[in-house]
Amino acid sequence: MHGEMPGFFPGRPGGEHDEPLLDMILERRPIPPGASPEFHGLARMLAAVAGPAEPGDLAGQDAAHAAFTRLASRPGTSHAALRSARRSLSERPARGRLPVAAALAVAAAGLGSTAAAFAGVLPSPIQHFAHETIGAPPPPHVASPRPLTVASSPMPRHPRPSDTGSRQPAASPDPVSDKTHRGPLSAHGRKGHGAVPVRATCVPALGEDRGWAVGDTQNPPWPSPVPSQLKPGVTQSPTPSGPSQNRASPGSLPFPWPLPLATKGCPAGTTPYQETHASGR
Amino acid sequence: MIGGAFGVTLANARTGDEAAFACIFRDVQPALLRYLRVITAEPEDVAGETWIQVVTGLRRFRGGEQDFRAWLFAIARNRAADAGRSRHRRPVVPLDMTEAAQHPTTADAADQALEAVSTQAAMELIKSLPREQAEIIMLRVVAGLDAGDVAKIVGKTPGAVRVAAHRGLRRLAGQVAQAGVTL
Repeated sequence: MHGEMPGFFPGRPGGEHDEPLLDMILERRPIPPGASPEFHGLARMLAAVAGPAEPGDLAGQDAAHAAFTRLASRPGTSHAALRSARRSLSERPARGRLPVAAALAVAAAGLGSTAAAFAGVLPSPIQHFAHETIGAPPPPHVASPRPLTVASSPMPRHPRPSDTGSRQPAASPDPVSDKTHRGPLSAHGRKGHGAVPVRATCVPALGEDRGWAVGDTQNPPWPSPVPSQLKPGVTQSPTPSGPSQNRASPGSLPFPWPLPLATKGCPAGTTPYQETHASGR
Repeated sequence: MIGGAFGVTLANARTGDEAAFACIFRDVQPALLRYLRVITAEPEDVAGETWIQVVTGLRRFRGGEQDFRAWLFAIARNRAADAGRSRHRRPVVPLDMTEAAQHPTTADAADQALEAVSTQAAMELIKSLPREQAEIIMLRVVAGLDAGDVAKIVGKTPGAVRVAAHRGLRRLAGQVAQAGVTL
């Protein structure tokens, strides 16, 4: 009978009548002495579970204490402060990224220099050097080993009243010249680079923005360097054999000062470097 | 339980008093670890994460000792759930889980628990219960939380918590009866 109806009798586990006893055990209150031995055993067992700390129960105290010292003792510690701390920690390795940033800056300067060289806005000696090394238009007043028309722009420029002087031959809108000479890049034997859109898009804009580049090249304050002095070992042949020959890397141009921004006059989102590479594809 | 001095202790801990924080830690940590040993295979790690979160939010906490314990154990349960999800993502069976599966869960464990009445043996007996019942019993008995707080933590109604606790206790009492130990 007892087995078929467990809990029917008060004080024995298994029925509704034991609920007050179970609540007392859960709340760790002393149970009546007359309760079932199983309840007493249960209460004793749970008292052991909720008993005082044993060795190992305080594990991690040092770590928690360190965390408290690090975080809670600071005034204003909050999630925002933690985020700020994490952010500052993540910024520490920025020192290691300085060389990368410097390299990027040099590369950007080199690209700008290249673009400026193709735009023909560099001072005369450097423009000449760029002409010899990377096929930029030659400076107008320096005698070029090639005919002057070689350096002419393949695209017609928009002449301005101030755009006169030595730049004018290079900006010749002569259609014959444009037909016979496909620009300095093609003159150096580059395949498929006959028309470089860089010059077509950027030269007029740069000419408009940088009037100094036109007039100042008449009488440059520095002597015109001999090409072989500028870059020893560079072949000055007008017909190099390969596309990579005589082409200095953008970052290796010997420009001792910040060059004008080559992208200043270019359409938004385009740079001469990008267009030059796009034309080769 | 710290009791009446808890408010002052907590206030001191908020101001950076390390002794006050140590007092709170020593009061709660044993119960926290025992609770975590029932519900997770990485109790020490989860306890550490719990305390870091507690320390972080200590200044924003408002309430008494019961509220503090309920808050802390709720954090612990969430961290344990996170640890469980992480463990599922890397399916490696922890050593202590393997050992737990090999523990006897019937009369032998009851005998051992009642003979030695050691905390560890009693906990092994509780771990033999269904997870929900074991967790609720630990929160009620070890953490000292009432049915309402436990209901909030486990996401059930207070009535359901009470029923589950009673079922677990009856099962434990049945094991004690099977052991035939008369105290």
